Amino acid sequence: MNDSTFKFEFSDLNLDVRQIEMVMGYREGESHEAISDLIAGALIDAESFCELKAEYRIFSGIEFNPSEKSVKIAGLEFSLKKIVFGQLRKSESMAVFLSTAGEKIGEMSRKAMKDGDLLQGYIYDVIGSEAADGASALMQEKLKMAAEMEGLRITNRYSPGYCDWNVDEQHKLFHLMKDNFCGITVNSSALMSPEKSVSGFIGIGREVRFNKYTCGLCDMKDCIYRKIR
Amino acid sequence: MNDILKLIANCVENGKIDRNTPYPPGMKGQDGADELTRLALDSGIKPEQILDGALVPAMAVVGDKFSRKEIYVPQMLMSAKAMNGAMKHLKPYFSTGETKRKGKVIIGTVAGDLHDIGKNLVAMMIEGGGWEVIDLGVDVSSEKFLKTIDENPGAFIGLSALLTTTMENMKKTVAAIREKHSGLKILVGGAPVTKEYCERIGADFYSPDPQGAVNYLKQFAE
Repeated sequence: MNDSTFKFEFSDLNLDVRQIEMVMGYREGESHEAISDLIAGALIDAESFCELKAEYRIFSGIEFNPSEKSVKIAGLEFSLKKIVFGQLRKSESMAVFLSTAGEKIGEMSRKAMKDGDLLQGYIYDVIGSEAADGASALMQEKLKMAAEMEGLRITNRYSPGYCDWNVDEQHKLFHLMKDNFCGITVNSSALMSPEKSVSGFIGIGREVRFNKYTCGLCDMKDCIYRKIR
Repeated sequence: MNDILKLIANCVENGKIDRNTPYPPGMKGQDGADELTRLALDSGIKPEQILDGALVPAMAVVGDKFSRKEIYVPQMLMSAKAMNGAMKHLKPYFSTGETKRKGKVIIGTVAGDLHDIGKNLVAMMIEGGGWEVIDLGVDVSSEKFLKTIDENPGAFIGLSALLTTTMENMKKTVAAIREKHSGLKILVGGAPVTKEYCERIGADFYSPDPQGAVNYLKQFAE
């Protein structure tokens, strides 16, 4: 399997008003006409604001340390903590990935808020997050197909900051990527720029498995994704 | 409650900013918080009556509904917009000192952190609670907080952080404020922040939602 870079169209994401509403907290059967209209308009705007890119690099020769719940990749040790370690430990190689929705959707969100339109800014912000995550999902599909060609399977995506994996480890993750990979950078607080970006690991191997529902593994009871997925 | 105050409160609760706001459908074409507030002032109702009799209770209803998960962030923001439509008519009275607010709250997202939605929500709910809010924005250094405190003695402080990495800067900011102003009340919030963390870093109050902060501040209203 080779390192790969992708560009996606916003329309590839199939984002719709209902999905954005659910991320905002609206449950099945709940909606608000005014909000739905604003989201529909913002989704049209986002088509030109979002520049979806994703890339992964494949690392073989990875070493897991069960007592430390860590993995060593290219000489760098990642303290995955119990949950992520448990999901990745059977991996024979690791795809380290970055994806982004680009700079402009975040800029539009900040501009709307600065101009006093907090609601429009919030809607762009949520769409940007979903677009970055959606780019990761599309990249993961490509990885899955490449893995299957070699008789391998892949795990779910796991990112620093989730399931107790310290977000600070994002700095080490960036050391594994080529300079200016996707044009994404990370600052001293582990914040990525563009802010609507995602980083993480996907395990590859014969014995690994993809879990349709992973929220039961995590102890973040108030996480919005637990409520909607 | 005076009828026009009830109407203003209803507009704020439902996010009806002005006559042009098409929502809610049942109020289409009717005056919103903007026009009704102007009308109330012109008919001799005092700004503080509008603030305390319409805007504060309406935003309290909105905040309580949000706490009970009956409404979500977008509806809160619609109400905030309607409140601002009313507030623009009251601000001249605040700036001349003719109408007093309950006190000042300095708010900001701590150094290294660029997240502002949660902080903005809290700022707008506190303003809707009748307080003057000085919003320092995001990535705010301890020095900037201290300078603003010097310029606004006795103000309450609100600190926000969304990352475990920047929580450490929240701790440093609390320590820096405590060193110079031991008696000031410091409120903290943000996704990774907890009541236990609040106590550990020596802050005074943590709330998981904006209305909690408004309710906490009530006891100190001037």
